[in-house]
Amino acid sequence: MRPILAIAGTTVGEAIRRKVLLIILLIGLVFMFVAPGLGVLSTRSETTVLKSVMLGIIQLTAAVIAIVLTVYMIPNEVERRTIYTILSKPVQRWQFLVGKYLGAVAALGLMMGLMSIVLVGVFLVQQEQNRNVTAVTELLKGPIMYFVQMSLLAALAIFFSTFVSPLVNFFLSGGIYLLGTVFNPFFTTMQENPNTPWIANKFATLVNIILPNFASYNIQNTLINSGPAIQNESLYYIQTIGYGVAYIIGLLIAGIVVFDRKEV
Amino acid sequence: MAAAIETKKLTKSYKSRTAGKINVVEALDLHVEEGEIFGFLGPNGAGKTTTIKMLLGIIYPTSGEGYVLGKEIGDMAVHRLISYLPERPYYYEHMTGPEILKFYGSLFGINDPARFQSLLERVNLHRDTTKTISQYSKGMQQRIGLAQSLINDPKLLFLDEPTGGLDPIAHREIRDLILSFRDEGRTVFISSHELSEVELICDRVAIINKGVIEAQGKLTELLKGGRIEITVDSVPESLLSDLRIHDANVRNLPNGILLDVPEEADPNSVIDAVRNAKGNVISVVPRRKRLEDLFVETIKPRSSGMMEGGTVQEKTQ
Repeated sequence: MRPILAIAGTTVGEAIRRKVLLIILLIGLVFMFVAPGLGVLSTRSETTVLKSVMLGIIQLTAAVIAIVLTVYMIPNEVERRTIYTILSKPVQRWQFLVGKYLGAVAALGLMMGLMSIVLVGVFLVQQEQNRNVTAVTELLKGPIMYFVQMSLLAALAIFFSTFVSPLVNFFLSGGIYLLGTVFNPFFTTMQENPNTPWIANKFATLVNIILPNFASYNIQNTLINSGPAIQNESLYYIQTIGYGVAYIIGLLIAGIVVFDRKEV
Repeated sequence: MAAAIETKKLTKSYKSRTAGKINVVEALDLHVEEGEIFGFLGPNGAGKTTTIKMLLGIIYPTSGEGYVLGKEIGDMAVHRLISYLPERPYYYEHMTGPEILKFYGSLFGINDPARFQSLLERVNLHRDTTKTISQYSKGMQQRIGLAQSLINDPKLLFLDEPTGGLDPIAHREIRDLILSFRDEGRTVFISSHELSEVELICDRVAIINKGVIEAQGKLTELLKGGRIEITVDSVPESLLSDLRIHDANVRNLPNGILLDVPEEADPNSVIDAVRNAKGNVISVVPRRKRLEDLFVETIKPRSSGMMEGGTVQEKTQ
């Protein structure tokens, strides 16, 4: 366990100093501060616009950070030869990969934590008249679910980084994220609709099994609209987070299998 | 003496779409004894780093066997007893020297600040503990690399181009450190282009070219066969012809004639012959064979495609 934690620690140290990531984070934060002003441009209520825009910014910023952070992670270690000094020590390849992944997730957590603080801060400023702990707790469910989503995305990118170049990985991980976010609900509807032809139904089922379901982590509608949009919320969160953790473990195992035989 | 490294027909091949199967390392038979400094030499692309990576278990051999400290290569138990300093290493730039040692120490489960401090003193970085790696010079980076490679008190160190790109002072410091490793009973395996450096510190060497070991053995044995340059004048042509037959190179100089005679050909008899023929001996200069000469004469024939005759296959244990 000690090598994993040591590798994770250095990965966090590196990640929080990478200028490109800090710039992306800074842009995200700037947009978050600007978000309250966008309410006047919409016919929807200011709180709705604020929540919607800020959660959207967190999701987009975190997704870009997750991909940029992880696609270069393994190739950089090989290119800079750091991997050789580490793997020549009593460190197994799986420990290296898991350490890098946990480091990436921890760095993502820190950055998303910072964005969540800004989210709560801006929200409290806007809710001058109606501040309460329940509203803040409800709001924080959004970034927490996004964090699980980004951890899944990071696992996907780490898996691909064991056998494709960073550029290919960028488009591959980004593309699958987009498909899993935008099209997953479409395939789910196709699968659940009794009028869907058999072949299309099977295809939708297959896609739903293979494609990570990133869409289920987007609970914006529940947070924005009043009243429960999810029946049995606790079960939903447990199932969704459990699905994410299982998928992450599966991706890491697949990554370890590939990385173990890889010539570095 | 026990072998620190032993390989038998160790081979690494890659498949290329254009060239088919390429043997990067071919049937490598390497023998490194415990407690010696072993130089692993070869031109760029000869297979040096591939060999080191195979010995470290970072890449997998296609065929053959290899043993490091008596255990099969890739055995994780050996990793506790060895260390590796790659060519132009990179260390996490935001870290300080002590943090680097703490990180590499943690990979062994070592968290001993006193040990880290003594290692920093040993590589003369104990006064730069607050500087980050990004503020280190090349020489300092190489020294912190050596410090991290000593963290587990290794029996065997693999050093890939340890003095590459360093200034003469840093060269000297690294060389002294490497020599001190041998004094402590460690085995050092150096891959290098710095032939003068290798000649100064190595006990035995192997020369690899295009994946094949061309020469291997003790430096003192491999460097036998120096030449003596005898400058003479007023020597009759009949004697010169006679000397040519006896392996001497004869060249005309502005101030006389140069007789380039192999060391083992008894130069005294040549000098006597010149004197008996009423010639004058102007100077006698011994030219010791250098590692560079051996390297060039070993590498050149294969590189220029002139392997006929097999004159460079000089395998000495």
